Amino acid sequence: MAMSRADLLSMFQKTATEIAEKEFKSISETTIISELGIDSLGMLEIVGAMERQLKIQIPDESLAGIQTVKDLIELVEKRQSPVG
Amino acid sequence: MPSLVAPTLVEACKVLAHKNDKGFVFVRADGTERFCSFQTIDQEATRRGAHFAARGVKRGDRVALVIPDPDEFVLTFLGAIYAGAVPVPMYPQLTFKNVESYHDTVAHITNASGAKVLVTTESTKQYVEPALARAPKVKELMLVSALHEPAPGPLDVRVTPEDLAFLQFTSGSTSRPKGVIVTHGNLAANSEAFMIHGLGKDSSVDKGVSWLPLFHDMGLIGFVIGPLFTDIPVVFLPTASFVRNPRVWLDTIHKHRGTITYAPNFAYALVAKRLKDKDLTGLDLSCMRITGCGAEPIAAKTLRDFSEKVVPAGFDPRSFLPSYGMAEATLAITFVKHGAGFHTDVVEKAELTKAIAKPTSVDQGEDAQELVGCGSSFPEHQVAIVDEHDKLLGERQVGQIITTGPSICQGYFEEPELTAAAFKKRDDGKIWLYSGDLGYLANGELMPPLADINGLRHSGGAVGTPQLYICGRLKDIIIIRGRNFYPSDIEWVVSELPGVRRGNVVAFGVTVDAVGNHVEDGTGEEQLIVCAEATQSEAATISEQVRQAVAAQIGLSVYKVEIVPQGSLPRTSSGKPQRRKTKQMFVDGTLPKPRIKTED
Repeated sequence: MAMSRADLLSMFQKTATEIAEKEFKSISETTIISELGIDSLGMLEIVGAMERQLKIQIPDESLAGIQTVKDLIELVEKRQSPVG
Repeated sequence: MPSLVAPTLVEACKVLAHKNDKGFVFVRADGTERFCSFQTIDQEATRRGAHFAARGVKRGDRVALVIPDPDEFVLTFLGAIYAGAVPVPMYPQLTFKNVESYHDTVAHITNASGAKVLVTTESTKQYVEPALARAPKVKELMLVSALHEPAPGPLDVRVTPEDLAFLQFTSGSTSRPKGVIVTHGNLAANSEAFMIHGLGKDSSVDKGVSWLPLFHDMGLIGFVIGPLFTDIPVVFLPTASFVRNPRVWLDTIHKHRGTITYAPNFAYALVAKRLKDKDLTGLDLSCMRITGCGAEPIAAKTLRDFSEKVVPAGFDPRSFLPSYGMAEATLAITFVKHGAGFHTDVVEKAELTKAIAKPTSVDQGEDAQELVGCGSSFPEHQVAIVDEHDKLLGERQVGQIITTGPSICQGYFEEPELTAAAFKKRDDGKIWLYSGDLGYLANGELMPPLADINGLRHSGGAVGTPQLYICGRLKDIIIIRGRNFYPSDIEWVVSELPGVRRGNVVAFGVTVDAVGNHVEDGTGEEQLIVCAEATQSEAATISEQVRQAVAAQIGLSVYKVEIVPQGSLPRTSSGKPQRRKTKQMFVDGTLPKPRIKTED
């Protein structure tokens, strides 16, 4: 089953908390990831953890354009099987 | 001059050009592999070189490369070398680092190198093209795919050891990047030094495994150029694959029976932190002969943690090979003797501040500092320590590390002043590189580092050869996860914020342990601290803006922002804030109050 956007948002929040080892209270789709104080390596770690959980793969070149949480969630959505 | 390897990189590749069953394996992000035999590498480099020549690229012309795919990067880099041109490797756009500051870097490096051609890929072009508006010397944006076409004609260029091989831009100040001039002679000398004398390479069994970025000296010289000079096959992984899942590194070593790998300290820490015991199932790491560590300060604790984690998979701690090097010396300066494992020197912290490395024991706890030995220099090379008056120091006296030999580069490209400051002729008539790093030489009591793990007992490095220990650096460079950052760049970004006045910001690195205490015993990790003068009522808002700006434009997370009252940072007589003094006050907890802590 492909996950809903709300599920993906909470997965992002949970994964980011684990990787960065700090609480993120108010993350929404419009949050700019760098503004969470997550640097590019931390971001890649989060992407890797989400890829493993969802058994998907996001190509490196598409990561360069990510600014907001929404950008990442949409990339993940595209990679999830539409028929689940 | 090197006698055990070919005199130029081109000739080194030609020596291997008949081998069609040995070469480089490029693992892609999806796990599929591309094998390029040394024969294919020679053919590809010749073809790409012919394309460059046909497009008017001449001997000595600089060719900027922004190519994220390791296979395309290596083949194009060698193609430019075959054409006698001077490749200038640049890093591809990283995730969400501010696009503007990426364009700045591309424009700065392209301009500083005087490159007329920039080669990139279809997927990366969109991130590079906007920068070219500010790089007027670039006449052509070339796509890698154009180099895949059949050769337009023969390639007839002769490259000599004195020729410039490539420009290695140090990950330094973005406002003024420095391109280290590396000749073919430097590459040959350093490759012989670290591959043959350092690693004791055996071309019949050794195989490298690397995820290191290829636009960085350790990845490019350590795993592409050194192995080409010495007939060693290598398996390359994308850097992003390792960061996403550190296990991939060990899996690849296991699968390909890799014998040589290298990484900065942070990577070993990441593996120790992220690897779960169940990840070790089926993993056999007994093949690892060289587990190299360099590019940033090495913490004994990190190596012990890593070792403890992977010893159950057959990892041999004696394979640890701590080392010291820098781009200005081509790559490697000192190596620990291979097979000896790492060893440490424990000295009195208080004496160290007086520039004396006085041995003590770890039992002294807080008063003791444990440093990892980085080995000794190579044949034909020398390392020495000097004080601020340029006087040579004896054993266990702390001063600036200087080095000389055939690996020392020719200086910084078109930067005579910077070159004169770092590359100086001494009384012995030799040119010495002044590293800017602080250290000492000592024979020391070599401790068995991991005697209790796995029942292994070993004695550490070679007794009798003075070992180099690194204690810090003269310059204020901040090194985080193997990357160098200049405080001035960070200070500039913060100064641009409303509410912060230019010249009222200080950035520095502090080593802290897992719970945030400042430590200098080699157990911590370097973190970025920013101190800014601002109105206290705005402290919380400004702190947040500082974090956002530094993350967006520098790509770093700030560990702690300290907002201090206006006019309270310590200053020099000319009115500039003093970084060292501010750092000391931060560490001592004597920065002016009220202090607003915002790390949570």
